[in-house]
Amino acid sequence: MVKFNEYVEIGKPVATADAIAEGVAQAAEKNDKMLAILSDIAFPGLGWFLKNAPDRVVECGIAEGNAAVVAAGLAAEGFMPVIYGFVFSSICRAYNQIRQSILADRFNVKIMAREGAWGGLGMSHNYVEGIAATRVMPNLVILNPADAVEAQKSVVAMTDYIGPVFLRLEAGFGSPPPLKIFTEDYPFDIGKAYTIKDGKDATLIATGYMVTEAIKASESLEKEGIDIRIINMSTIKPLDEAAIIKAAKETGAIITAENHSIIGGLGEAVASVLAENIPTPMVRVGIEDEFSQSGVITEEVDEIKAHFNLGVEGVVSAVKKCMAKSAAR
Amino acid sequence: MAHSEELIRELEKKADVVRKNVLTIFENSQLGHVGGTMSIVDIVTALYFHHMKIDPKNCDWPERDRLVLSKAHSCEAIYAIFAEIGWIPKEKLNSYYCFGSPLQGHADRWCTPGMDYSGGSLGQGLSFAAGMALAEKLQVLRKPPSEFARKYMTRYLTKYNPTYRSYCILGDGECHEGQVWEAAMFATKYKLDNLIAIVDYNKYCIDGPTSEIMPLEPFIDKWKAFGWWVTEIDGHDVRQLVEVLDLTDKLYGDGKPKCIMAHTVKGYGISKWEEAHSHYSKGEEVIEGVKEGRIKYG
Repeated sequence: MVKFNEYVEIGKPVATADAIAEGVAQAAEKNDKMLAILSDIAFPGLGWFLKNAPDRVVECGIAEGNAAVVAAGLAAEGFMPVIYGFVFSSICRAYNQIRQSILADRFNVKIMAREGAWGGLGMSHNYVEGIAATRVMPNLVILNPADAVEAQKSVVAMTDYIGPVFLRLEAGFGSPPPLKIFTEDYPFDIGKAYTIKDGKDATLIATGYMVTEAIKASESLEKEGIDIRIINMSTIKPLDEAAIIKAAKETGAIITAENHSIIGGLGEAVASVLAENIPTPMVRVGIEDEFSQSGVITEEVDEIKAHFNLGVEGVVSAVKKCMAKSAAR
Repeated sequence: MAHSEELIRELEKKADVVRKNVLTIFENSQLGHVGGTMSIVDIVTALYFHHMKIDPKNCDWPERDRLVLSKAHSCEAIYAIFAEIGWIPKEKLNSYYCFGSPLQGHADRWCTPGMDYSGGSLGQGLSFAAGMALAEKLQVLRKPPSEFARKYMTRYLTKYNPTYRSYCILGDGECHEGQVWEAAMFATKYKLDNLIAIVDYNKYCIDGPTSEIMPLEPFIDKWKAFGWWVTEIDGHDVRQLVEVLDLTDKLYGDGKPKCIMAHTVKGYGISKWEEAHSHYSKGEEVIEGVKEGRIKYG
């Protein structure tokens, strides 16, 4: 039986949509300067706005560049606009708008955007480049919650923080919901990694949906007598470097797992910290340099997971590979 | 109400002083966006020294009118204005292009006191100005004007006047950017009659005449079709400028964003720059232009 740390209580998969909507409503209730900026994509928690504050809804239509800069103008006057959409549209299509009009002046704009390898919508929507695109942007905080509880808490934390935030949301159309991981009293803190499970043989640093696969992999590995540590890296930027260095010192092998390209994502961020501070054998799990596409997902079949090797087998073999590298040193 | 000859003369003189400051900037740096800067000098002079509600002692006054310089490469004209108002020390006019200077190469809100917008990548300013105008609409009924405004700014406080107005200066070449038209649609949808766009229609972009590079005509009809109130003036005629700006005030309450198409001359006032339709110049072209300008503007 795998032993998890405090605030962790693994349950059945729970979709994150309702939790995000609840977080939005909670934050909007608390802050009357919060505005919902729509780009023709159903905004989570829109029901709360329509019922309680319809004048705080700004619908921009399918014009994400305009939406980003209108949001900046509103933020310049003291509002807290929250943009919602896909990473491909609300972030990458509006990339330079975000850079120049929001980030350069550190305006208090929040962007909640979805991406990930999974989903039926195909190459255009199944983006896996969002972290790489945004990590390089100054003044931007990047959050990537692992389950419904953390998603709700990160929405609230994002609105409590003053400054631009990208909240990356992975669960989308047809992608598998993550396990329930955290208890309601889990203390979410921007910039703090959370160790879900202690372990001595290797450390799995995962983010977003891949925390679910990491947990499943730890159960499988335990049966083989391998005791891994699991770190939930829900803040991609600023990165909790201390947690990474400590894990490298104590376990000597680091595996990263992300529903994102292995180029420019969490894996490379962790690799940079290790290379500069404590060179450690490492393996990255994620999407190899490739576009995703539509894939069928049912109880029995998951074509995306199988193709990109993002499931338990993929993670387990990465852990073993990394431990072998570490042992060979 | 017709404005007196004295006022017009005074503003024209002020515009020459602004041009003189612009020359000082170019003289020191020996480079810059000379063309688009000279074409907006009269426009920004009419705005900052006559029409816009500002507090010279406080560039961050919350009720000030906003000016979004969407064609942010023409920031030299704004620096020249701010040096006259006192938001930038005059001795800083020699720090254009320098690290840590309030005179950045493109307008930068973070670096320059009084600058309302950070630009450089074109086509975004109208969206920003629209966001500011919408914010005013959202706030106007919530917060009455301050004591200061009631006491000193009574002429701005008729019952139809907004807390602040949002002005945006666009280049004609900049209107090739699709986002300008996204913002135009947005402003109409939200009835932003407190938003006034001024197009510096100097007819040239870097590669040549806008009529060849990417034709904009019928330009006025385009704005009209997007639901804007639009008019055209000579952008170097100060009387026309102040009168049209007054008119946009009178129209406040009609629910329409306003567009002033200001016909201008790129490099205005300096024959060398006018002839060359200079966009960005360096070295000899700048030095010779400054020499000519010094004779005219001191």
